[in-house]
Amino acid sequence: MTLFFSLVSYELRITMRQAFSWVTPLVFFIIVICLFPLSIGTHSALLSEIAPGMIWVTALLAVLISIGSLFRTEDEEGSLSLLLLSPYPLSVLVFAKIASYWLTHCLPLICVTPLLGFMLHLPALQVLVLCLTLLLGTPALCLLGAIGAALLVGIRGNGLLLPILIMPLYIPILIFGTSAVLAASQEQPLSAYFAIMGAFTFMSVAMAPILTAVALRMGVSQ
Amino acid sequence: MSRNNTLLFQGVSYALASGQVLSVRGANGIGKSTLLRILAGFIEPQQGSVSYDNQVIFQDVAAYQHGIHYLGHDNGVRQYLTVYENLTFYAVLNDRVLSTSQCNEVIQRVGLWAFRDTQALCLSAGQLRRLSLAKLLLRPAPFWILDEPTTALDDQGQQILADLINQQLQQNGMVVMATHQDIALTSKPNVLRLGS
Repeated sequence: MTLFFSLVSYELRITMRQAFSWVTPLVFFIIVICLFPLSIGTHSALLSEIAPGMIWVTALLAVLISIGSLFRTEDEEGSLSLLLLSPYPLSVLVFAKIASYWLTHCLPLICVTPLLGFMLHLPALQVLVLCLTLLLGTPALCLLGAIGAALLVGIRGNGLLLPILIMPLYIPILIFGTSAVLAASQEQPLSAYFAIMGAFTFMSVAMAPILTAVALRMGVSQ
Repeated sequence: MSRNNTLLFQGVSYALASGQVLSVRGANGIGKSTLLRILAGFIEPQQGSVSYDNQVIFQDVAAYQHGIHYLGHDNGVRQYLTVYENLTFYAVLNDRVLSTSQCNEVIQRVGLWAFRDTQALCLSAGQLRRLSLAKLLLRPAPFWILDEPTTALDDQGQQILADLINQQLQQNGMVVMATHQDIALTSKPNVLRLGS
C-alpha cells in the first residue's frame, strides 16, 4: 500500500510539473461544452435535455485525447524498463499510474461539471446524478483506455488507433451514465444504474491493470 | 535472431563467468542492442536459449530480471523529477530504503551534486547518462547489462563508469556491455564481435 501511494505521489508531482498535460483535456472539455449553446441556441428545455449526453460524450473524448500519452513519455524516456525490472507486480505499478491519471485528468472535469450543468439549465438533482455517474464511470474509462495505450506502446503515429480500439468498450458506460441522469429527470429509481456502473468500474479495476501489464510487456518486447 | 525480416545474427554462443566483463562489438544495426535486450529478458530469441545460473531465463523471467541491472540506449530517467527524486523513485520501485545521506553520497559519486535539485529535463546528455549510471549504485545486482554506457560521457564520466565496472568485477559480478569505445578496466574485457 505504501508503494502504491508513493508511486501515486511521484506521478502527481510529475503531472503537476507539466501542467499542459492535465490542463489541456480540462480546457477541451469546457470549450466543447460551451460550443453547444453557441451552435444550437440557448433554449433551456433543449439544452437541459441534451446536456447529460453532451457532457458524458465530451468527458469521454477528453479522456481519449489524453490517455494515449499515458505510457508514451516513459516509452520515450526509456523508463518503462524500470517498471518492468521492478520486483513488484507490474499490474500494481500500472494501477498506481492510472489512479494518478484519474486524479489529475478526470477529477478536474468532474469538479467543473456542476458549473457547466447549471449553464446548460440542468436541474440540481440531475447535476448531482451526473457528477455521481462521472465519479463512477470515469475510472472505468481510464482503466480501459490504459489497455489501449499500453497496446500502442512502440507504435509510432498511432493517433486514431486508440479511439478505434477503445471507443466500443466505452459504449456501455456512456449508455448507463446518461440513462441514470434521464431516469433522475423522470424520478425513477437510480440504484440499478449505479450498481451496473459500479460493477463496470470494479470489473475494470480487477482486470484492466493485469491486461495493461501484459500489453506493456508485449510492447517492450517489440 | 531477425527483426523486420532481416537476419541480425545467428549462432551466437558465449559463457560468461563471475568477475568477467564481455564487450559486445559490431557495426551499427548489427543487433548489439537486440542481443542485450534478449539477455535482459525483454525479447525471447527465435532460436536457442539464454541461461543464467544454469536456468533458462525465460522460465521465470521476472525472478531473473530482479537480479540484473539494465541500462538501455535511453537513460530511463524521469524528465520532470529532479536528480534526487529520480534516485528515490528508483529506490521505491526496487523496494530499497534509501536515506538522504546515502542518496547524496551516490549523487556526489557520479559528479552531479551541483544538480541535485535540478529537474532531469534541464540536464545535458552526459549528465543524464551519469544519472543513469547512479542507479547502478542503488541496489546490488550480480549481472549488469549496459547498452552503449559511454555515450555522451566526458573523460571524467568515463572514469566513473570504469570505476563502477571495476568495483562490480571485484565483487564477482558480471558485466555485458555494447560499446564502440575502450574503457579503462583493470581486467581485459572479453570481446564478442557480431557480424564477423
